[in-house]
Amino acid sequence: MNFKKYFNQQNTFILIGLVIALVIPQAFKSSQYVMLLITTVLLYAILASAWNIIGGMAGQLDLAAAAYLGLGAFTTGTLLIQWNITPWVGMFLGGLIAMGLAILIGFPLFGFKVKELWYAISSSALVVVLQSLFMMWNEVGGPTEKYLPSGSSPWYSLRFNTYVPYYYIMVTILVVVILINRWIRYSKLGYSLLALGEDEDAVEVLGVNSQLSKLKALAIYAFICGVVGGLYACIYGYVHPAFFDTSMSMEITILGIVGGMGFIYGPAMAAIVMVSFREFLRASLGSQLAGLYLAVYAIILIVVALFQPRGIAPLFERGLKKIQTYFAELKRGHKADA
Amino acid sequence: MLKVADLTKKFGNLIAVNCASFEVNRGEIIGLIGPNGAGKTTLFNAISGLYKPEGGTITFKGMNITGWLPHKICKLGMSRTFQVTRAFTHMTVEDTVRVGAYNRYNEKNVQEKVDQVVKICDLTDIRKRVCSDLGLASLRKVELARALATEPEMLLLDEAGAGLNATELETFMNLIKKLNQENKITFCVVEHVMQMVMGLCQQIVVLDSGEIIASGTPNQISTNARVIEAYLGKRAVHVRD
Repeated sequence: MNFKKYFNQQNTFILIGLVIALVIPQAFKSSQYVMLLITTVLLYAILASAWNIIGGMAGQLDLAAAAYLGLGAFTTGTLLIQWNITPWVGMFLGGLIAMGLAILIGFPLFGFKVKELWYAISSSALVVVLQSLFMMWNEVGGPTEKYLPSGSSPWYSLRFNTYVPYYYIMVTILVVVILINRWIRYSKLGYSLLALGEDEDAVEVLGVNSQLSKLKALAIYAFICGVVGGLYACIYGYVHPAFFDTSMSMEITILGIVGGMGFIYGPAMAAIVMVSFREFLRASLGSQLAGLYLAVYAIILIVVALFQPRGIAPLFERGLKKIQTYFAELKRGHKADA
Repeated sequence: MLKVADLTKKFGNLIAVNCASFEVNRGEIIGLIGPNGAGKTTLFNAISGLYKPEGGTITFKGMNITGWLPHKICKLGMSRTFQVTRAFTHMTVEDTVRVGAYNRYNEKNVQEKVDQVVKICDLTDIRKRVCSDLGLASLRKVELARALATEPEMLLLDEAGAGLNATELETFMNLIKKLNQENKITFCVVEHVMQMVMGLCQQIVVLDSGEIIASGTPNQISTNARVIEAYLGKRAVHVRD
């Protein structure tokens, strides 16, 4: 068997990534705080990567991530609390419900070509409406937290005493979401979405059904958010209408923009860098300057808008190309010497 | 192939196109001319489905397509370019063409179509370049290429010759002639560049203030008093007479 052909640069990077992913829990498993922090970073990386499908590729400034996340959380939580249905099923159903709502809302919005600022406002309103609705719906939500039972089997109820299993589940979901991003990017849907993000009329006269393409993107994004929402409820052990958090939606959008709209790895990279930094600021300066991370986010956003308007991903790609060129030249040099 | 009958498009109180009627036969290159603000682009937008007309009918290949969505009209075999180039600035030339090629091709054979169109439109050297790096002449060709990739039977070109120098215009005209003769594509061309209109079109329709004021061969149009008046004013007609 010829193993050499599998060791190209991309596969080497994936391998390095997987090794790091496996080493992290071994290094930090003694500190539950650090593991929770890393799991939170991964959660944001997943959500930002999912946002990339509707926001980065299709150019729709969606601010409803927390709405779909909250729906997933409440579906999973309620099914577990009231009927002892495993979150594995709950997460999937939560994703489907989030997807259904997204289609219901996206259909008229995309049909009437609502975009840019107006789309942002409409999607943001969805978070607020759902928060109020769940606050008043006492059977499912209500003003107090509803705690998830631990059950006899941690793998059935997804309630663990440590964050390590959540970490592994999050890593798996992140890999799947990045693969979905990659698959979409180089498919008919991906090319259509990228073009739609630039000029809707020009794409429609090329035979692209803009409403359907955007609905597909929105549905996939909402489904991922819903699934992750289920896991989010299990990690924190309760559900509460505060999960419908507009600032969280805003943060995911910022990560998507800073990472690089339409770039496969950009939003995840931005999440890893910025959310880690935010948590560091919170841990070190939280007691003195509680909102400092927001100011830092604002500064980063301004700097990126000024100097790197397409996000940090193109910067990373250029760096990677330089490394590739360097190694290629090194290889040529070796061959010439031989 | 295309029949426009009594087409009317209004924007509030402004009547942009007023009861316009004309026909385009299969295999023809027809020119649509008129002074600025005559309603040429509005007429194109209504035919291609970007605007819904208030009155009249558009029949394409025997089907009433009035009010159809643009992607459905494209599927039926009509595509277009735009007056001001609307390139997908962050996409490469090849990927831009691919968006159009997906209209009739799937993942397996789309690349073949892209290669074919890139070659026909002489875009091979720049196929990997991002559209934002291209000049106007290349962008015009890219717009034509992506529309061509949809495999249209009819193409609407909106001022495709604007801003091109003499050599670029010549190349562009030759390409359109080739596509018309070899690929049997019917063209409807909105144009201000008279060299292009006279050199390409078999029939010309003249629009002024939203109304069709004349139609005929290039020779008939160039001597038509109403056309001269619309372009140069009444005094020009007196001077000529």
